[in-house]
Amino acid sequence: MQMTVEELRILEGKEGSLKKRALELIVAYAEALGALRLCKISKAHLYAGAHQYLRIRALEGLDPDQIISKMHFCSDERMILNDVACFAQTDAGPMDPDQWSKLGFSFNEATFNDLFLCRYLHAGIHLIGTCAPYLTGFIPLMGEHYVSTESHAVTLMNSIWGACANADGIEIAFCSAFCGFTPYWGNHVPEQRKATHLIQIDWTPSSIHDWDALGYAIGRKAPAFCTPLLTGNFPKVDINRLRACFAAMAASSGVEMCHILGHTPEALTREMATGNNKVESDVISEKEISEVFDLLGCRGGEVCFVSLGCPHFSIEQIKEVSQSLSGRKIHPRVEFQVWTAAAIKSISDRCGYTDEIEKAGGNLVCGSCPLLTGKFPDDGQYGLLFDSAKQANYVRSKVRGKVHYGTARECVEAAVSGVFNPGS
Amino acid sequence: MRKGIERKMGDIVIRGRGVISGKAEGPALVFKTSVQGNCAFDLETGEIIQKGHPLEGQNIANTIIILEGGRGSAGWSCRLHSTVVSGVGPKAMIFPKLDSRTAAASVVAGVPVVTDLDQNPFQVIETGDWLKVDGDAGVIEVNKVPK
Repeated sequence: MQMTVEELRILEGKEGSLKKRALELIVAYAEALGALRLCKISKAHLYAGAHQYLRIRALEGLDPDQIISKMHFCSDERMILNDVACFAQTDAGPMDPDQWSKLGFSFNEATFNDLFLCRYLHAGIHLIGTCAPYLTGFIPLMGEHYVSTESHAVTLMNSIWGACANADGIEIAFCSAFCGFTPYWGNHVPEQRKATHLIQIDWTPSSIHDWDALGYAIGRKAPAFCTPLLTGNFPKVDINRLRACFAAMAASSGVEMCHILGHTPEALTREMATGNNKVESDVISEKEISEVFDLLGCRGGEVCFVSLGCPHFSIEQIKEVSQSLSGRKIHPRVEFQVWTAAAIKSISDRCGYTDEIEKAGGNLVCGSCPLLTGKFPDDGQYGLLFDSAKQANYVRSKVRGKVHYGTARECVEAAVSGVFNPGS
Repeated sequence: MRKGIERKMGDIVIRGRGVISGKAEGPALVFKTSVQGNCAFDLETGEIIQKGHPLEGQNIANTIIILEGGRGSAGWSCRLHSTVVSGVGPKAMIFPKLDSRTAAASVVAGVPVVTDLDQNPFQVIETGDWLKVDGDAGVIEVNKVPK
């Protein structure tokens, strides 16, 4: 692999042991992929905090520095995080760092998480804490190389802005952030971003929920190494619809880039999206959408937990929830959560939306989601309801109770009545 | 050494590119459908917990896994990494081709990995076959288990 003088200097340890170790792993990753060189990144979005995968028995007794060294940098040598090499901010964490007690975390659990957050802050990483970094200003432009640990954010920022990243993984993203480089491979290379599959959508998605279900259906059909080009009638497409679509798609597939004919900048024409390469074709119709609802639970039933906000809600989505809860009360059995980024919650507080949700008995919480907190009632008797295929998809593997999948409006109605009634 | 499948006393040899060095042997666990990057494995036991997956209830501990590619979540590598740290991860991994998720997992798991194979492993290897993986030479020896 071709190395620059700057990269060789880092590998010789002249810029410290942390940067050296980070680059060693990036070089190993590049060699595994068959990349011929590295490229510089300008932004990093990082899955930071005392997450569940770090709270395993084998790591008990280790301090945060030792855990970070072992699990981010694969090193038994103690690495102290310093001087992140580019603009960096945190992804969603394991809890709301302010409202942790409302979620059922103990003081010790919150303190342990804070110890991790202090390390990242010390290294220069902004503690923003959202899976939707573009809501708070993380907007890489066309051709800009970045890393992100949130799979849907990678698909979204690659597809609708033409930015360049792969869904590498948590460790590799940390290594890139601290050495400043990633392999020039995959979505970083213009020729490798072309569509491989033409997917005709014979169904017209309208609501955000339609797009969520469509994304999951596309992902179920997408084979490994697939970059889809979607064609069809998409009259109301906007960013809230696309982020729901890409979150669901990233949960059911390995897709990291998705062209939409006439809507995304690298797919203004079919020839532009495919590069005139031969592509395979597939069709998605109402049948595949119905299968998603059947699979993720749409038959209704009594619920004890309702969660909205995957990906983290935008301010207009929070406003809609607060308006539909005005003057109403959440059912006493139901725990109702709406998830967003802390910056968006500040706006919601100012606009009075948070107050409206809290007066009804719900919580506007930040920086995490049920999948990452792992805190939800689950006695097996009552179900759990989500407006997101991504949450429903993952959480159903972790609970005894039935998981349901409904629209945001159906979720609010279920939170008030205690019963999920599809079509309400 | 000729390319392709070599049959020697009932064994099959697959050649490819060694990605992560080292040698390991163990029973094959063939994932005809890949697993998602979150809620796929119990991180303490290695049990496959992904609801509805064809291998739900089986265990990756001390097996040699054969997978097409990663899907679902950029947390694919870190959770596989946790199973290895917990001592319940795979002993080696085989991928016909690497994508970003599986390449990252290969580097951080540190167990022998072979890719870019000269044969389709899903046609040659069945769950339970005894495999010897050489991550330096890029060679997989398949010992069929009598049915």
